[in-house]
Amino acid sequence: MLARIVAELGPWSWWIVGLVLLAAEMIVPGFFLVWIGLAALAIGVLSLLFWDAAFWVWETQLILFAVLAVAATLLGRRLTLRHNVTDEPFLNQRGASLVGRTATLSEPIAEGRGRIRLDDTIWRVTGPNLPAGTQVKVVASNGRDLTVEPL
Amino acid sequence: MVLGGFDIVVIALVVFVILVLFAGVKTVPQGYRYTIERFGRYTRTLEPGLNIITPFIERIGARLNVMEQVLDVPTQEVITRDNASVAADAVAFYQVLNAAQAAYQVSNLENAILNLTMTNIRSVMGSMDLDELLSNRDAINDRLLRVVDDAVQPWGIKVTRIEIKDIRPPTDLVDAMARQMKAEREKRAQILEAEGSRNAQILRAEGAKQSAILEAEGQREAAFREAEARERLAEAEAKATKMVSEAIAAGDVQAINYFVAQKYTEALTAIGSASNSKIVMMPMEASSIIGSLSGIGAIAREVFGDGNNPPSPPRPRQVPSRTNPPVNPFNQTPER
Repeated sequence: MLARIVAELGPWSWWIVGLVLLAAEMIVPGFFLVWIGLAALAIGVLSLLFWDAAFWVWETQLILFAVLAVAATLLGRRLTLRHNVTDEPFLNQRGASLVGRTATLSEPIAEGRGRIRLDDTIWRVTGPNLPAGTQVKVVASNGRDLTVEPL
Repeated sequence: MVLGGFDIVVIALVVFVILVLFAGVKTVPQGYRYTIERFGRYTRTLEPGLNIITPFIERIGARLNVMEQVLDVPTQEVITRDNASVAADAVAFYQVLNAAQAAYQVSNLENAILNLTMTNIRSVMGSMDLDELLSNRDAINDRLLRVVDDAVQPWGIKVTRIEIKDIRPPTDLVDAMARQMKAEREKRAQILEAEGSRNAQILRAEGAKQSAILEAEGQREAAFREAEARERLAEAEAKATKMVSEAIAAGDVQAINYFVAQKYTEALTAIGSASNSKIVMMPMEASSIIGSLSGIGAIAREVFGDGNNPPSPPRPRQVPSRTNPPVNPFNQTPER
């Protein structure tokens, strides 16, 4: 039955599959049906060209489709990595967002450890030994602790 | 259409590829971090965005929320240093800063933070008196934050704030506090009233004192001036007398007689011409009036040089009249 439908529709069956997959991507979260759908569309384009060729049997089409799907996925990830620009680079990176801020030491830094108050909470800092009340600048963060140096 | 072995393999391959893609493409939403375990061992953390993991050997271990989260600390009974039992609840905010540590260093993270916070609330509040507790929330929050934030250090999370929401002492204690406050205020009011009346009385007394002093000073001044005036008068009189006596000494005794006689007759004229009363005051010895006249005579003799024959005093004129009866000086009745 499936074979009959495919035979009737000819190369357009790939187009239909591709577009259905692209539409499903909108509904199903996960961002992976896009690549498969694009691969199906590519096979559809090739089918229009080679539909009557001897080597263009359905097995060939399916293998090519699988290969193209993997290739499209890898290519797509590379593209998204390159265009991964955001206007909020420090979202959910609390420590990193504090780099460059200045604060006053609420406790002296002794043995390389002290505390500062920033945004109404206490942060542990590492840095050179300094007396309490010194103005310091946050230069780096390693997640939980901030590295400071005197202004 | 009959499927051969190769055909089935091809179909299986396509299905397999689709499943592999499904397993390998992982999209991490913003606000989350996924940890990756390779054969069960943690290797890396997936950042938000499109990620590809190796199927079969890598899988998602934990899906961690790295947004700041609110933790409601349930109400608990705390005994203060002065043995008052109060009910206290709190709210804590925490954020995962290191997803791997939060996922694998502690199991059941939320429960761990909750228990840590509750026990520390007990210890911090238990080291304070009730009055301190009710008035030093900031200090309590600060101490709690320090202790708890240090304790959760190994779990890769940060407790950003802990706030005591409500401190409820038992009802009878609250009543006692209210009574105490009322008594304090009443005491203050009474003290203020007493001070007010005391100050008012002092001020009044001072006023009276000042006015008395001023009055006395005025009297003293007046007395001084009066005395001065009298002195001046006496001086003037003395001066006048002296001048008169000097004049007499330089002149004649008869000059005095002349003056006296003049005054005498003037006085009589004044008495006589008084319209409102017809009281004639006569000296007890009527003859003394005449005596003054003899003084006049003496003056005349002095003047006219008849020294050995003194003139006889003229007889006093008697005026018989009904309207003017002779006056008895001992029986003076004002005439109507």
